[in-house]
Amino acid sequence: MEHTYQYAWVIPLLPLPVIMSMGFGLILIPTATKNLRRIWAFPSVLLLSIAMVFSVQLSIQQINGSSIYQYLWSWTVNNDFSLEFGYLIDPLTSIMLILITTVGILVLIYSDGYMSHDEGYLRFFVYISFFNTSMLGLVTSSNLIQIYFFWELVGMCSYLLIGFWFTRPIAASACQKAFVTNRVGDFGLLLGILGFFWITGSLEFRDLFQIANNWIPNNGINSLLTTLCAFLLFLGAVAKSAQFPLHVWLPDAMEGPTPISALIHAATMVAAGIFLLARLLPLFISLPLIMSFISLVGTITLFLGATLALAQRDIKRSLAYSTMSQLGYMMLALGIGSYQAALFHLITHAYSKALLFLGSGSVIHSMEPLVGYSPDKSQNMVLMGGLRKYIPITRTTFLWGTLSLCGIPPLACFWSKDEILSNSWLYSPFFGIIASFTAGLTAFYMFRIYLLTFGGYLRVHFQNYSSTKESSLYSISLWGKRIPKGVNRDFVLSTTKSGVSFFSQNIPKIQGNTRNRIGSFTTSFGAKNTFAYPHETGNTMLFPLLILLLFTLFIGFIGISFDNGGMDNGIAELTILSKWLTPSKNFTQESSNSFVNSYEFITNAISSVTLAIFGLFIAYIFYGSAYSFFQNLDLINSFVKRNPKKEFLDQVKKNIYSWSYNRGYIDIFYTRVFTLGIRGLTELTEFFDKGVIDGITNGVGLASFCIGEEIKYVGGGRISSYLFFFLCYVSVFLFFFLS
Amino acid sequence: MSYFPWLTILVVLPIFAGSLIFFLPHKGNKIVRWYTISICLLEFLLMTYAFCYHFQLEDPLIQLKEDYKWIDVFDFHWRLGIDGLSLGSILLTGFITTLATLAAWPITRNSRLFYFLMLAMYSGQIGLFSSRDLLLFFIMWELELIPVYLLLSMWGGKRRLYSATKFILYTAGGSIFFLIGVLGMGLYGSNEPGLDLERLINQSYPATLEILLYFGFLIAYAVKLPIIPLHTWLPDTHGEAHYSTCMLLAGILLKMGAYGLIRINMELLPHAHYLFSPWLVIIGAIQIIYAALTSLGQRNFKKRIAYSSVSHMGFIIIGIGSITNIGLNGAILQILSHGFIGATLFFLAGTASDRMRLVYLEELGGISIPMPKIFTMFSSFSMASLALPGMSGFVAELVVFFGLITSPKFLLMPKALITFVMAIGMILTPIYLLSMLRQMFYGYKLFNVPNANFVDSGPRELFILICIFLPVIGIGIYPDFVLSLSVDRVEALLSNYYPK
Repeated sequence: MEHTYQYAWVIPLLPLPVIMSMGFGLILIPTATKNLRRIWAFPSVLLLSIAMVFSVQLSIQQINGSSIYQYLWSWTVNNDFSLEFGYLIDPLTSIMLILITTVGILVLIYSDGYMSHDEGYLRFFVYISFFNTSMLGLVTSSNLIQIYFFWELVGMCSYLLIGFWFTRPIAASACQKAFVTNRVGDFGLLLGILGFFWITGSLEFRDLFQIANNWIPNNGINSLLTTLCAFLLFLGAVAKSAQFPLHVWLPDAMEGPTPISALIHAATMVAAGIFLLARLLPLFISLPLIMSFISLVGTITLFLGATLALAQRDIKRSLAYSTMSQLGYMMLALGIGSYQAALFHLITHAYSKALLFLGSGSVIHSMEPLVGYSPDKSQNMVLMGGLRKYIPITRTTFLWGTLSLCGIPPLACFWSKDEILSNSWLYSPFFGIIASFTAGLTAFYMFRIYLLTFGGYLRVHFQNYSSTKESSLYSISLWGKRIPKGVNRDFVLSTTKSGVSFFSQNIPKIQGNTRNRIGSFTTSFGAKNTFAYPHETGNTMLFPLLILLLFTLFIGFIGISFDNGGMDNGIAELTILSKWLTPSKNFTQESSNSFVNSYEFITNAISSVTLAIFGLFIAYIFYGSAYSFFQNLDLINSFVKRNPKKEFLDQVKKNIYSWSYNRGYIDIFYTRVFTLGIRGLTELTEFFDKGVIDGITNGVGLASFCIGEEIKYVGGGRISSYLFFFLCYVSVFLFFFLS
Repeated sequence: MSYFPWLTILVVLPIFAGSLIFFLPHKGNKIVRWYTISICLLEFLLMTYAFCYHFQLEDPLIQLKEDYKWIDVFDFHWRLGIDGLSLGSILLTGFITTLATLAAWPITRNSRLFYFLMLAMYSGQIGLFSSRDLLLFFIMWELELIPVYLLLSMWGGKRRLYSATKFILYTAGGSIFFLIGVLGMGLYGSNEPGLDLERLINQSYPATLEILLYFGFLIAYAVKLPIIPLHTWLPDTHGEAHYSTCMLLAGILLKMGAYGLIRINMELLPHAHYLFSPWLVIIGAIQIIYAALTSLGQRNFKKRIAYSSVSHMGFIIIGIGSITNIGLNGAILQILSHGFIGATLFFLAGTASDRMRLVYLEELGGISIPMPKIFTMFSSFSMASLALPGMSGFVAELVVFFGLITSPKFLLMPKALITFVMAIGMILTPIYLLSMLRQMFYGYKLFNVPNANFVDSGPRELFILICIFLPVIGIGIYPDFVLSLSVDRVEALLSNYYPK
């Protein structure tokens, strides 16, 4: 029993040997390593599977025994300062371990198919395995410094992966944006850690909780400082989990390959922030101000994310905003203290979102030969449509994922989201209204994505319109206004020239498929306009989709309360999840508002499902019938024609679309304020450095040079000048002396 | 224990062997290269051997002492000795200089003189770190300048004369104050001059004199370290010098300032240091932000890295100013860590710009395709420089942070403020480093540079890079390895400040 715990430290270290051998192989003997290619993928999957087996075993023991295990090694020893490394296995960790390993394995398998033609296949595997490793390290950490350690490593991995296709200028600025934004969060996290170290003198979680719980109620004076430090810690979570002020990196992170998006959005990166808050909840819970702040931020984020997702054209970007919105739900749940609901939603959302992202990757993969390899085209939902005929398996899985995320009953996300909704209603009606309304919006935008991608007819021939005829009418009314790109993507000090043609944007990627690409371009731009149809992707990509589908279908049951069994004990909570989380819940004082009776549960469920179905219905009205005019090329926006009286409504709709398409103008605002502000400051200091500090130095040099020249001139050995000076002095002397 | 003058041998060997270079047969550069590299290696191995077998880490006192009377008139001795503080720096010197010699492989013009100067610098640096006599310290300090000046003015870039002159004027200007300090210290008090560091530790001065002396030394170190506003020689020098010289400059020469600050100002003038330390911390914090911002505005990427060096020196100043055990250890760790990282960044920048023959960032772009290895290593070391965990920079900066917040000298609010400002530097560092990376490597720009030699780094360069990368990772993962060198000594040093 115990021996599994003792070897738990292996889990994060397991994938390391493959990473190191691949990395060194790539640097030292690139050609030999690259020839092996797929052979390398196997051990990375294998080792991660071993890690998964380990973590499953740990979780089983957690469910049965529910003990917390901790082990520490000293890292730096100093007399009055010691850092320790260790691991802490508790229910939260074991849940996260399972989540990361399962999603990680599936993404690895998937990316074998997705990246098989890419030049950087091995590099990709190195990065992605390292990403998993650092995330595993993060969740097994036993103190704050260790968390920070892996936290930054996760950030670095995301930087590398988002900038994976480094020849794309957009990807280059996106990865920098992600890193810098996350660094702002790290800044807060570090200051928070230092603050808590100063207050409590310890970095271990358990000491921290004990000290904080005993200390905060007693000392009213320093509670302000404690609140400040907690706020700074929360800032770290805000950046990592893409909450409101620092969410800007998340949609841009879509520049990375799709498996990465799946991994970032499901298991690794954004889960880190939620994990941190869940881990530190015992600390936060004694600070009511921070708790309400967390829930406020969560609410703003979930609403904002949903509105921004409304009119995105890029399939991945819409999914990204939906992730942001769902993360807002989790944050809200944490803020109102329902720890279990947040974790439950994290799990269900992770599987559903991984499914959706991998599905969208499959869609992109099948679209790429048709429309070209630029993300502007292959991910553009304008050009998709009607894919249900061509890629039925992907379509089915995508549909289930969509329904799950919308919150349709038997699927995973329904259970968790419903729990959050009912809890938020109990906490405050204001949050409840927004959360429920957003649930409807979620259904709307998710179904919009589905319908645009799979419904209707294939609109590949529209690419001529989207690229050449900029202002075709439908693009204004339905897709939001097209804005000049330079403003939108102009991130910190980017000197990216806009107006780059998409042909040359991805040099390394197309090398494998050059023939294919050329073929597709000749077909799509050819006069005949005959094009091939998209094909279903390979088995290695469909397999993870199907597995994830299973998860999506059944993972919800770990959180469902089995009433008939529970009534006997008088406690209705007999869910696997709650049993799992019992030890953690001891200190969280879970408000006992979970499904006490089935009646309340059913009413809640009915209301949320009604909202979701309403959203679906509206989406169908808007987009389900839309293909009727998409197919007709020369039709002038039938929408306006059909409803001439609704001009005002149309105006409103247009405003919403442009708000959403321009990402709520937040990115532009940041560019204007922060980027230009920093640039201004930079110019100022540089002027100061060059003009003042260096100017003084050079001025001194120049002055001494001039004086030297002057003296040289004076002492040049000319008798006449000597005589002149002599006479001058004599006359002056005489003048003063005599008068 | 058999008495053997290890340190004298270590100091004298490189310059002596270097002067033999001129007697080597004129048969091309190859023989000179191999001769130099083997001397460097021999020296490094000797050093390691001597420290392994004749140095006790637990002992915080000076070891391997040597004392020969040199000039009797004013009691000038050849006094050498090392302790935990200087050990790390000496090893760093050996390591970096050996690799810099290897990095200087492509130099063909007048290579004899070049290698001789490298070896002379080697001697000077080791002499500085191991001298136990104030005047000897000063002489070594000055001896260092001549090779750097020559290296700069003969093998530099286009504006080499300007920058070499600037360098020599700045440092010589600083040295005047240094000399005044040395003389003031030596002649004060007793009738006969005393320059032994051992004896000077116990000497006490009137408050005003101590502050004056402290200030004089501080100016010399502030030029070397550099501390703003005396830093402008550094970007010019680093922008023009050959990359092997840059490695020595960034890796070791800057650290001499920090070493002197600890060795002389902290150890000999504790009261003044206690008074000055808040100012040091404030200047350090300002320097971090200021240099980071200025770095962002540089178009020349060598200068950008140079300013990043200046910015990282801020952490050393803060660590020294915090007067805590942890902070000082952090400063020493940062000395080593930046010695590795800064030197490598300059090496990488130099090799890249030599290939491209371009130094302005906006002209570059997309060179990751022809040079993937340089790209990889550049990214790795940029990450190390921006204090990514698992690499040495992170540990050093973290320890400095901890040192500052545990410092009993400062009140809560100033401490919080300084920490906050330092942490802002943590946001600015990735901005300038990553945007440099992006402008240099990302994208797909095609060049119209004639004769551009787009060759990826060869085995020699890769060897240098990996050699430095390993200790960076090693310190990052297990910092005790280096901290254990200096812990005891630092504790002994700080016991002057807080008598128990």
